[in-house]
Amino acid sequence: MRVLLVEDEHDIQAFLKHSLAEAGYQVDASPDGKTAEEFAQEHLYDALIVDLGLPDMDGFSLISRLRQVGVRAPVLILSARRSVDDRVRGLEQGGDDYLTKPFALAELLARLRNLLRRNIPSSGENTKLCVLDLELDLLRREASRGGEILQLTTQEFVLLEYLCRNAGRVVTRSMILDKVWGMRIQPDTNVVDVHIYRLRGKVDGKGQQPLIRTLRGVGYVLKDR
Amino acid sequence: MSSRIDSPVVHSAAWRISLWATLAFACGTLFVFIALHRFVANDIQRRSDAWLTGEIEVLGNVAEHTPKDSLYSAVVSEVAELASKEVPNKLRTEGTENGSVFFLQAASNGSLKLWVGYGRGDSYLDVIGKRTIIPAQPTDIHVDGIKIPYRVATLHMEDGSSIYLGLSERDELRVLRNLRSLFILMWLVLVLLGFSIVFYTTRRMLSHVRRITEAASQIGHSDLTARVPTTDRSDEVGHLARTLNHMLDRIESSMHQLHTITDALAHDLRSPLTAIRGKLEMSLSAAPNCDQAESIVSVIDELDRLTDFLNTSLDVAEAKADALRLSKSEIDLDELLRIMIDLYEPSMSDQGISVSIHSSGSALIYADASLIHRMISNLFDNELKHLPPSSRIAVRVEKDTETVTITLEDDGPGFSDDVLPHLFERRIKGKASKGHGLGLAFVEAVVRAHGGSIAANNRAAGGVNIRVQIPVLSA
Repeated sequence: MRVLLVEDEHDIQAFLKHSLAEAGYQVDASPDGKTAEEFAQEHLYDALIVDLGLPDMDGFSLISRLRQVGVRAPVLILSARRSVDDRVRGLEQGGDDYLTKPFALAELLARLRNLLRRNIPSSGENTKLCVLDLELDLLRREASRGGEILQLTTQEFVLLEYLCRNAGRVVTRSMILDKVWGMRIQPDTNVVDVHIYRLRGKVDGKGQQPLIRTLRGVGYVLKDR
Repeated sequence: MSSRIDSPVVHSAAWRISLWATLAFACGTLFVFIALHRFVANDIQRRSDAWLTGEIEVLGNVAEHTPKDSLYSAVVSEVAELASKEVPNKLRTEGTENGSVFFLQAASNGSLKLWVGYGRGDSYLDVIGKRTIIPAQPTDIHVDGIKIPYRVATLHMEDGSSIYLGLSERDELRVLRNLRSLFILMWLVLVLLGFSIVFYTTRRMLSHVRRITEAASQIGHSDLTARVPTTDRSDEVGHLARTLNHMLDRIESSMHQLHTITDALAHDLRSPLTAIRGKLEMSLSAAPNCDQAESIVSVIDELDRLTDFLNTSLDVAEAKADALRLSKSEIDLDELLRIMIDLYEPSMSDQGISVSIHSSGSALIYADASLIHRMISNLFDNELKHLPPSSRIAVRVEKDTETVTITLEDDGPGFSDDVLPHLFERRIKGKASKGHGLGLAFVEAVVRAHGGSIAANNRAAGGVNIRVQIPVLSA
């Protein structure tokens, strides 16, 4: 997977490049819009990570110019601006996801993986999700572990479904709030954790291998091996 | 939030201005007419007086020099009749006996000596006898049975008798009456015409003001790009519109400056924060042992709290300056609160807090979803942080034609007295609070930015009562 990183802040570019490379991506980094355009014409990228505040041009105009020359790869926008306007504008102008600085590295990687997966045409929606011995029947809204039906509430089922769809990948609290509850909030209480604890109590029974792992300071991951 | 003026025309300023202007105009013209009327009346009187004094002198001469024989009365009558034919201001003659003139000679003992005129002379003599009429100074007399007064001049004869010449004021009054009715007709036409002209022009003028008002009311909290309509005219209204637009230019530019500053601040703080967080995460994954990882994680937690504080501070600062950038959409508060309660319920029941919602169904508002979400989660976070175990929270959603009201009540310890008056100020928090003291300030800022209101106080029965009102989505 080849990713183009457009970021002018040297420190951020350095650690992102390092982390992306560690996560198995082939990364080209560009400090400004002009170089980014040159890169985009030379190589075919699977995804682009674009910072909005570039020295030579607005990140928005870079995205529209890349789109005009036929770049179809998904774009993850990074921004130090906070206004909702920018988020909406970014998504309208060809961005595919939006992340506000500062962000958790894990969240960036998770969102990037989401974008790449979205780009692969899906071969029809499965009606069943299986992670190890955990099985989710999406039609009957039923979950079972090792053949035993789990007594889940509707909300818990949606949460578990989200974790299963991202099995093996880290999901952060704000991603869970966004995707499961449809809220872009940052509660300074442990509301999401309590939901996870409850779900864990039902999914990871006694004597079973724990599936839901907590990554402190980052989020959660559903083990898939 | 339009302020269209639909009140009846009688409440309009144009109506009042025209009314007062017309009143002033009517009074002025009336005053001028009264003066003119007096002048004309005096002039007519002066002319008839001049005629009377001239004629009575002629008659006196005739009476003096005519022998007092049987022909005397015939001669004097003839002269008097002739005189009556030359009456001034005469408009029409109705035969010979128009009664406009009389001649009367009274003997020195007061008896009627000669009478030329319409009707009987006795009644005239009676009236004259009661008055002292000075020669060469004609006087008005009123004869019983005759509505119109006579102007009478007198002359004393050498033989002790007096002659009187009377001229009816009928013609004079008719002239004045015609003058008056003509004036009233023209006056009415003029006043009506004047009123219409004044009303039309002021209405036209003020309709510009109304358009400016309408445009100004459309310029919302955050949309400052619109301007009021201007005209090319250089009158007060055009000046008002241009001044308003200059003012809006200045407000827009300072608002823009505020945004630039907060954006720059956000950017300058965020980039290093991002770099620090990234490096910490990298060293976390490379941390050799659990103790080190633990301390790195706690630094990351602190960093996240700092970021959250920065974000909320900037939001509150912008909201306090009425400069929050809103991206509005339709939101069902009833649905949102149910989802939010669903989200918070496990945390609350872990702490032994129960929460219930009473609502009369969907309550739509037009608002910025992300801000409203954060506002409500702030309220719930607040409850979660401050309520002791086994407390109860009751949420009510009510709506009327204008507002949706969210009431949040609990039976906890309530706000402490030193905090209560300053609840919505920045950096205000209870002594035991772990938060950064921006929670309720942010809630208030969001509510205000949406044109709503918030009130928070302690219930009489103990606990907190917070009421949030937000304008309902109008169809």
